[in-house]
Amino acid sequence: MARVLVVDDAAFMRKVLTDALVAGGHEVVGEAGDGEAALAAYRELAPELVTLDITMPTKDGLATLRELIELDPAARVVICSALGQETKVLEAIKAGAKDFVVKPFERERLLGAVAKALGQASATPAA
Amino acid sequence: MSPLDPAVTTEALMRLGASTAEAVAKALDAICPEAVQRGDVSVVPGEESPFAGFPFERAAVAVSVHYVDGVTGGNVLLMTPAGARAIAAAMGGEAPPASADADLTELELSAVAEAANQMFAAAASATGVVLGQDVEIAPPDTRLLDGPAAAGEAFEATPHAVGATFHACGEPCRLVQLVPNAFVVRMTRALDEQGTEQLSGDAGLSALGIARRVEPGEERALDEALRDIRVRVWAELGRTRVSLGAAPELPPGAVLELDRKADDPVDLYVNGLRFASGRLVLTEEGEWALRLEEVAGRTKEGVI
Repeated sequence: MARVLVVDDAAFMRKVLTDALVAGGHEVVGEAGDGEAALAAYRELAPELVTLDITMPTKDGLATLRELIELDPAARVVICSALGQETKVLEAIKAGAKDFVVKPFERERLLGAVAKALGQASATPAA
Repeated sequence: MSPLDPAVTTEALMRLGASTAEAVAKALDAICPEAVQRGDVSVVPGEESPFAGFPFERAAVAVSVHYVDGVTGGNVLLMTPAGARAIAAAMGGEAPPASADADLTELELSAVAEAANQMFAAAASATGVVLGQDVEIAPPDTRLLDGPAAAGEAFEATPHAVGATFHACGEPCRLVQLVPNAFVVRMTRALDEQGTEQLSGDAGLSALGIARRVEPGEERALDEALRDIRVRVWAELGRTRVSLGAAPELPPGAVLELDRKADDPVDLYVNGLRFASGRLVLTEEGEWALRLEEVAGRTKEGVI
């Protein structure tokens, strides 16, 4: 089970994600509504995993992801996208995101993506 | 041909409106399964308010987005408070509440904004397909309006607008696309470059499920205008599908099997429409060419 930071500009989606993650046995250690707040929370809370929305004000998910990976190349990020954002998802995977979910998503799909991201990370040999 | 020729402008606006309404309806249907009915798509006459067609009995909930790059313009989705509440409930996987008298909570408004975000992202993708480039949207903005006048004040007027009606969870919704001239120019240029899959404007609109009344003479003018459009032509060896998750994990050296045998004919596409098939041949200059064996059902040979 992981300590998770939830990043989404919509309070409703933060609640949906938090409820699903807690139901899956994870601990949501923080929430952020935009990219800058997400980066600050990541530095402060050092979560094991981040769920990251793509469409956000001021700094979108892709720009946030790139800064996050620069800050911590081992960061485990699951992208939350909407239908029609396939190009963004591919860019995010290339930039270092571990997996993605497409809204509206089933709780099991989110938990599966989180498990995959955690598994991928733990399977990486230590430097 | 002027990029703002009225017939071509109408064509572009209807194409835009149809693709957007289709994408929004599909996304809305994913949120409220079996509770979405589609209505009309129409170009709003210049003298009319695009918001006038919505029944403002009480305050309306309006969620809007604008494009952040790619194209200018924006979308506004109008809902009744009861409709917004039902969509918010559906977003949370719940049945619509029995009473809709209380004011919408912040969480309900956030749920509605998220629903609109998902619809508009799908719509932007559909518009991007028409324009041949990615179209991104800004985060949605939600507000309460008490009538068409308030809507007119809240959103910057544009020279063109397209309206589409829906019913979701038994409540009316109206999608308004606010379209500046620059958007229409880009749209008509994109259609010009693509040639549009329809060689007759109404054939394409019919394919999108839209019936449009054509004035005498308009169809001939449209045909003449479209006749000189250059279209993109390409040959396709075969195709396959992989999941979005698998695509970025394909390593160099991976072999993807296509759905054609080595001796199968190659398809010729004209702007996305399969138009002919034939065999690959080499020209004397060492370039690939296609010897046509079948063209739109005819089998007389020719080389393109």
